[in-house]
Amino acid sequence: MGRFAIRRLAGMVAVLFAVSVLVFLIFNVIPNADPAKQLAGRAADPQLIASITEEWGFDDPLPQQYLTMMGNIFSGEVVSYETEENVDERIVEGIPATFSLCIGAAVLWMFFGILFGYLSAVRAGGKLDRALTVVAVTGISIPVFWLAAILLNYLTYQLAIFPSGGYVGLTENPLEWANHLILPWVTLAIVYVGFYSRVLRSNMLDAMDEDYVRTARAKGLSERRVMTRHVLRNSLVPIVTLFGLDFGALLGGAILVEGIFNLNGIGQYAYESLLNLELPPIMAIVLFGAFFVVLFNTLVDIAYAYLDPRVKLGSSAQ
Amino acid sequence: MSEALLAVQGLRVRFAGEDGDVQAVDGASFELAPGEVLAIVGESGSGKSVTAQAVMGLIPSRNATVEGSVRLRGRELLGAEESEMQKVRGAQIAMVFQDPMTSLNPVYRVGAQIVEAIQAHRPEVGRHEARVRTVELLDSVGIPDPAQRVDSYPHEFSGGMRQRAMIAMALALEPDVLIADEPTTALDVTIQAQILRLLERLNRERDLATIVITHDLGVVAEVANRVLVMNEGRIVERGELDEVFYAAKDPYTRKLLDAVLRLDQAPPLRERSTAAPLLEVTDLVKHYPVKRGLLSDRGVDRVRAVDGVSFNVEQGETLGLVGESGSGKTTLSRTVLQLLQPTSGSVRFEGREIAGLSRREMRPLRPQMQMIFQDPYASLNPRKRVGQIVGEPLRLQGRASGEELRRAVHELLERVGLAPEHYGRYPHEFSGGQRQRIGIARALALRPKLIVADEPVSALDVSIRAQILALLAELQQDFGLTYVFVAHDIGVVRHVSDRIAVMHEGRIVEQGPADEVCERPSDPYTKSLLAAVPIPDPRESRARRAGTASS
Repeated sequence: MGRFAIRRLAGMVAVLFAVSVLVFLIFNVIPNADPAKQLAGRAADPQLIASITEEWGFDDPLPQQYLTMMGNIFSGEVVSYETEENVDERIVEGIPATFSLCIGAAVLWMFFGILFGYLSAVRAGGKLDRALTVVAVTGISIPVFWLAAILLNYLTYQLAIFPSGGYVGLTENPLEWANHLILPWVTLAIVYVGFYSRVLRSNMLDAMDEDYVRTARAKGLSERRVMTRHVLRNSLVPIVTLFGLDFGALLGGAILVEGIFNLNGIGQYAYESLLNLELPPIMAIVLFGAFFVVLFNTLVDIAYAYLDPRVKLGSSAQ
Repeated sequence: MSEALLAVQGLRVRFAGEDGDVQAVDGASFELAPGEVLAIVGESGSGKSVTAQAVMGLIPSRNATVEGSVRLRGRELLGAEESEMQKVRGAQIAMVFQDPMTSLNPVYRVGAQIVEAIQAHRPEVGRHEARVRTVELLDSVGIPDPAQRVDSYPHEFSGGMRQRAMIAMALALEPDVLIADEPTTALDVTIQAQILRLLERLNRERDLATIVITHDLGVVAEVANRVLVMNEGRIVERGELDEVFYAAKDPYTRKLLDAVLRLDQAPPLRERSTAAPLLEVTDLVKHYPVKRGLLSDRGVDRVRAVDGVSFNVEQGETLGLVGESGSGKTTLSRTVLQLLQPTSGSVRFEGREIAGLSRREMRPLRPQMQMIFQDPYASLNPRKRVGQIVGEPLRLQGRASGEELRRAVHELLERVGLAPEHYGRYPHEFSGGQRQRIGIARALALRPKLIVADEPVSALDVSIRAQILALLAELQQDFGLTYVFVAHDIGVVRHVSDRIAVMHEGRIVEQGPADEVCERPSDPYTKSLLAAVPIPDPRESRARRAGTASS
């Protein structure tokens, strides 16, 4: 376990380094992304631009610039070129909204994904299975922005059940917090519910043919116990993998949903920064997101060793 | 005969399939008394396993119809409520399955799976009590150190131990009837002997009525009191053990008995004058590195799959290579053919060193050495027609094309007992024996001098096995072929080999003329291997058991 952790930590640093170098290089070849011009404002004269370039070190060799940028990000001193506000502070401000959105949606999608997948598999070929298949395929196929627009139109503008957007802190007012997040949660979760239920259904159908399931029946277990303890339990392993990857990726910002519902989270910040071609926030957000992707990958591996005892942490045999 | 514990009357099982219905069991009737061991014998597709599943009520109801009557202590089980059947399964009738590798759930500890069975039927038994009972059970089936091993996962058990654990689970609730479906087929012969002895002991100690389902008449002779022979869903022969073996009435039973290759009744060795060696293997070594870490290569371990092996194969002879699973026999045969790169050592083919030759250098030699594989289902490409499969080596080596290729393939098909009209068919349209013929035709296409056959008949039913072995012998005569015959079944090997080499843990522990190795073995491992082979002859089997018991 110790060696495993050390190796994973080293791997994490390597991934973050590679990702940051890549983003940094891409930004330096994009036209119209000269940071000095952004800092100087709209009607800047060449002289001002030159002095800014000098002052901020934009004519330093690229490796030097990269190190400066990384140093600023990790010391919390990095600022936006356009507004000169502190990037790290903005990200920290966005965390409650983004995490509230992702964690709530994840609870929803895991619950309904597993429930629907389980019912589909147990009643495979029956009416319920067919109905849930339609639900799942619809969920997978609906574009997020369209679904959000429809929900907003009917439930917010016409029936006025939910607020039209924005984020209220959990500690401020828990009821309003939930009220503001219900539509974003549903919108974000629906694709995953469809996808997860289909994956679980087919995993379970495969598992039902396993010899150990026959053994479970032969020892006189009830059908429900066979299905939950033996079929479902063994089919959850790949679901956990999927969940780790999806959830980790979302924590770096759910760009579409945050934008539509105006949650002011990290995803929305990423979107704005991209529009303005602002390197510092993009670098910081990419690193922030990559950190969670790698972190959850590691957590998935640890969960794997727990879920499937044949897998040993730190061995390359599997 | 005492009162029937289990009575099966006119059992019929029909499966509805896309290609019409299949009558898997067609009117089976039999009775089972306490303390009796009934063997149900048959080849694949005979309906023996389906019969057992029907007794357990484990046939999926969706596309199957089950008719007739299954009575346990006078109580009808067919058509009983599922909740009633759950009380019967495991508690009154328990089952042990063929493959212990897959029959235990890999994610739960072995002990937990037995505890689960106990608590399913006796919810009042507490966790601790159930665990204590589980340890006792594991102890009674011969698991060493059961208090520790109760917390092991299935993958930490060997095949034999898993089957012991399965038997412990089946015994957990002291059932009246134990059904063992091919309980030793997936096990090595020495492990098989231990499991059979265990079943026998349990039957004796607990007065357990046992049904053993098997294709192996040797197993039948070792354990059964009474025998049913099934063929195509019907019971064609029934009787006491000796009756069936020595006075079989049904022609199918006699055919089955005749097809058995007995270790102690081999044909005399062929007269052969010594010829030049075709293959000389000296100090051959194949080690596999086992990497410990992902980033570091330190602490590299080796698996010594083949660990310094030397043998010769003469022109026109058959060398039998025997060993249990993990003995290195398959690795050896592949390393000899340079399909695997040897770690060190020498392989001479017709006097020429081929160890360490590059793929390109091997290419002109490949046609002279061919291979036949174990699994005729897996070793033929399902998307290619038979003509393509058999003709491919000829085409790839540029030997023939067009009409000439077609004619050559037709000849080959006829030579191995298939018809030219099979040319355009796909492998799945053939039976196992026919598929093995296709594999042989493919190996024969380039007129090789050496054929390495890796378990060529172990996936086949006994009657088909005899046909394939006869074909191989005939082809050896006609084409002057040299065989290396790799198998785990020393009975089969003795029948086809001039000389036998016994492999154990990567080494050849004994080699010599077939009858010498089989009748006067000098190595202790060979002796234990021979002693473990079940004799398909009840009298001899009893005599041997009496002998080992008294000694």
